[in-house]
Amino acid sequence: MKEMVCIVCPRGCRLTVDNQGDEIKVDGNFCKRGQDFAISELTKPMRTICTTVKTQFEEFPVLPVRVSAEIPKENIFDVMKEINKVVVKDKLERGDIVIKNILGLNVDVIATSDILKNA
Amino acid sequence: MKTKNYDVVVIGGGAAGLAAALQVHKSKKSVLVIEREVRLGGILKQCIHDGFGLLRFKEKLSGPEYVERFIDEIHSENIDYVCLTFVTKIERTSDGDFKISVVSKDGCDEIIAKALILANGCRERTAKQIYIHGTRPAGVYTAGSAQALTNIYGQLPTKKCVILGSGDIGLIMARRLTLEGAEVEGVYEIKPTPSGLMRNVHQCLYDYNIPLHLSHTVTRVYGDERLEGVEIMQVDENFKPIEGTQKTIDCDALILSVGLIPENELAESLDIKLDPKTKGPIVDSDLMTDIPGVFSCGNALHVNDLVDYVSESGEIAGKNAASYVENKGKVNRNEIDLNISNDFLYMVPQKINISKIDEKVDIYFRSKKDRNNVVLKLNLNDKEVFSKKYQFLRPPEMEKISFDFKSLNLQDNDKLEFSISEVQK
Amino acid sequence: MNIDSFNRKLNKKLNREFNGKFKAELKDKIIRVTGKSDDWNEIIKACQMCVYRKDGIHVVNDIEFTGDVIPEMKKPAVEDKSLDGEKCDVLIIGGGISGTSIARELSKWNLKIFLVEKEVDVALGASGRNDGEVHPGVDLHKGYLKTKYIRKGNHKYDQISKELGVPFRRIGQYVGFTKGYLRPLVWLYAMYKKYIVGIEDTEIVGKDVIEKKEPALNKDFKFALSNPSTGVVCPYGLTIAYAENAVENGAKVFLSTYVKDINVENKIIKSVETNRGTIYPKIVINAAGVFAEEIAKMAEDRFYSIHPRRGTDIILDKKTGLRFDTVSTVKEIELKNKSHSKGGGLIKTAHDNVLVGPDAVETYKKEDYQTTPESMDTLYNKQQITMPSLSRSEAITYFTGVRAPNFEEDFVIEKGRNTKNLIHCAAIQSPGLTTAPAVALDIEKMTIELLKESGEVIEKNENYNPVRKHQIPQMSELPAEEREKYIKENPDYGIIICRCEQVSKGEILDALNAPISVPTVDGIKKRVRPGMGRCQGGFCMPTVTKIISDYLNEPMMNVRKSGADSVLVYGETKGGEINEN
Repeated sequence: MKEMVCIVCPRGCRLTVDNQGDEIKVDGNFCKRGQDFAISELTKPMRTICTTVKTQFEEFPVLPVRVSAEIPKENIFDVMKEINKVVVKDKLERGDIVIKNILGLNVDVIATSDILKNA
Repeated sequence: MKTKNYDVVVIGGGAAGLAAALQVHKSKKSVLVIEREVRLGGILKQCIHDGFGLLRFKEKLSGPEYVERFIDEIHSENIDYVCLTFVTKIERTSDGDFKISVVSKDGCDEIIAKALILANGCRERTAKQIYIHGTRPAGVYTAGSAQALTNIYGQLPTKKCVILGSGDIGLIMARRLTLEGAEVEGVYEIKPTPSGLMRNVHQCLYDYNIPLHLSHTVTRVYGDERLEGVEIMQVDENFKPIEGTQKTIDCDALILSVGLIPENELAESLDIKLDPKTKGPIVDSDLMTDIPGVFSCGNALHVNDLVDYVSESGEIAGKNAASYVENKGKVNRNEIDLNISNDFLYMVPQKINISKIDEKVDIYFRSKKDRNNVVLKLNLNDKEVFSKKYQFLRPPEMEKISFDFKSLNLQDNDKLEFSISEVQK
Repeated sequence: MNIDSFNRKLNKKLNREFNGKFKAELKDKIIRVTGKSDDWNEIIKACQMCVYRKDGIHVVNDIEFTGDVIPEMKKPAVEDKSLDGEKCDVLIIGGGISGTSIARELSKWNLKIFLVEKEVDVALGASGRNDGEVHPGVDLHKGYLKTKYIRKGNHKYDQISKELGVPFRRIGQYVGFTKGYLRPLVWLYAMYKKYIVGIEDTEIVGKDVIEKKEPALNKDFKFALSNPSTGVVCPYGLTIAYAENAVENGAKVFLSTYVKDINVENKIIKSVETNRGTIYPKIVINAAGVFAEEIAKMAEDRFYSIHPRRGTDIILDKKTGLRFDTVSTVKEIELKNKSHSKGGGLIKTAHDNVLVGPDAVETYKKEDYQTTPESMDTLYNKQQITMPSLSRSEAITYFTGVRAPNFEEDFVIEKGRNTKNLIHCAAIQSPGLTTAPAVALDIEKMTIELLKESGEVIEKNENYNPVRKHQIPQMSELPAEEREKYIKENPDYGIIICRCEQVSKGEILDALNAPISVPTVDGIKKRVRPGMGRCQGGFCMPTVTKIISDYLNEPMMNVRKSGADSVLVYGETKGGEINEN
């Protein structure tokens, strides 16, 4: 038996997970996403990261970015390292790709703000 | 000096104000948004983490993504707004309008509005407000200041810090600083339960092996120039530090997430009545304050934990401000109080205008304590008229119910009271 | 007087109290107290017992304190030779209210004036850490220098504040009494103060007057001692203004500069060694505050001792200021208790906040600016009697200052006793802010006398202007039309950076371009107030840091809160180097 808190939505359901047998049994979840979350937590936990990248624009020294989809939790700091190498030189817009397929994880790093539009 | 006229002026261009302005515009009234900062967006500009808009857009957006959707709409609808513009004074004119004095790069101007929406957000409690003693070095930051430095200016405010308070921004900043290479020694919370959302405790602290110490507080800071350490003490049930539990932690910063307070100085200058529980204005179901024509929404009304609710309250205020203008300020205010028992931290709105109930009223509340398996009850003249079961109620998690007061056929002398009690087994 | 019998009696008294632990000896107008103790309060008590307030006799504390290591003076790290070999007519040591006001008064003369201050700004000691009251002097006694200067100083404030452009208001003081039967006694006391001591504005007012003027005060006040001439000034603002006006008139102020040693030959100071090199002054003025005794010692003219006394003040939100507009305190009957200040009070500050304080705690740490919960309790407990509605939740900040009294609890304002080209402006404690404008004029006179005695020809400074030129317009206080004019000329005046105090970017840039520019977050805060409000810089600190960084053309990591080590940020989060230390 394992207890965890679902982080999918602000509801934060307290889950109890039973993985004694072949089947993983989840309890306490309000919706289906809680079940998926619990199973993923036990097998391959996934997380989003949101951070910034350096820009060459004086007025906006950093641009907010995030990964376009969740990445394995274990890769968080490797991905951060890659992101920290980048300097944005173009006036990227919200949703534009900053790093394509980062570390071969099949997710992109995308801009989450339009601030550079007016830089 | 210029004078301009609008039906509605919205003070504050953040999540609440933008939603309010869009709603006024949709109701075909002229509207102006006044923002004191360089850009629209309010605090969401620096909230680059995700989790915004789950209720509204069914997506996990970052703060800028969420608010820029509204900003885009402001632009596409050609709604007027001014930035770097600061409201210095609001006065009531003889014909019942509002004269708003502003200062900006262009000088001192006046704006006349028929209705006013206060959407100017909240501010953080400071180290002094929670009586931290010791020296006054650099390195004592509110979580919001640390967030601005990190996310707007791209500067690292600490290499090793202690975070006091487990409010959501504190938890978010613990993760954020860790990602940027700083060490977060621990998060200390004076209360026996976390102040922020449980999911944030898990995804911001436990994911990164940052310990959360409940019933602990910072009692002293050390360091003459830059902070060199803090003294931590365990507290008893009355939050009094327990002698002998002192522990000194070496660090270069103390980051505070010890609560938010609605910014109510403008409201106070208008003599608007405030609720000592929310520290925001007392409003009716239209989110109108006790001064007719002045509406309040978002974190200026009460501190929310979800931006979705902030936008929602903006829309309610916007819609009702527009209808106030439409009715030329003629409102029938026949109001009765929404009384709450001691079980609540607060409830908003605080009043119901019984002469103007045309649809369900959204009611937001927070429980005073952590409660399990309880039932929320509404009594009308001591007779139960509504109840709802909750598996959990936690103070950090605001609850919302929509209730149709029309069905109650309320009269002037009726007494409404909400209470929370244990479910009878 | 018979010195032997005096010494005998004094030691007998000491022995009775301390069992032979301490000895005292009067010689050359100095009562030197010796011995050893690990209890600082005992040392203070012993020295206080030895006070003989006549004939210029002073207590010098030579008791060895074994209870702790007395912290060394905090020194600036910088070491260079930028002042090496410089000659000047007058060297003032200390950039507090005394030093800066003296510099300003002396700048009337064609003299080369240097002022050295060890801190990164002026007014960082007691002058920046007090309640800003311009006292009436009703608590003072006859025969003190404090009393000699109090009325003169108080009267000068209208003119000085106008010339220097510093906020000052006469708001009056009430000392309230809850026991009505004391009224005749207090009336006698008031008449004594008024006609004998010379505190001419002293009067007694009744309950009705108090209630009308200050409805928030304790309803049990039956009457009050009233002094309408009481004022409030911004104490660091005044110190900065004096310093800037001195600089405008030709004086030079050197910050982060401290005195390491003084070279005295044949009772004449030949040179003063600093961390910036050796300076050769004709006259030295000791205005070194809590370190005046150390300077006196270096100058071979130590005849008094300073015993530091901490005081904490609490600043309340401006909202509290809306229901209070005087200096007020409660006085429980303790007329016999000869305390050295009136024991704190509530003060409406020159910036419209309310200040609660200060308390008084003896300490051996001259620069211990820590605040403690105990001080806070003392202050609230007392002043909640004065104003029952006073609430702890109204506090926006609090701070501690350290006063520099001697054991006689009076100023030392005189020429050197051994050393001829030295003037002491020492042991300045409350009401030193009030007296400063008057004291500075006397020190000016003494300095000119000394210079003339040594054969110097002193001329007037033809370009002297008593009006401070660099006055920063305070936008939030201006009527709209005037504010508009400023903004049209410089749009930065229309950009609000600090929302609580409504400070514009223009004002911040003006402060950065002042005659004494201190480009730190605290330096700007002291001058134009961003961060002084209820959010305490939560919103504006990053912006102010950025403005300073742009002004200096340095990265933000090189901007400081105050001192050289008060780093604010450690460099860019990414793509830039992180400052390792």
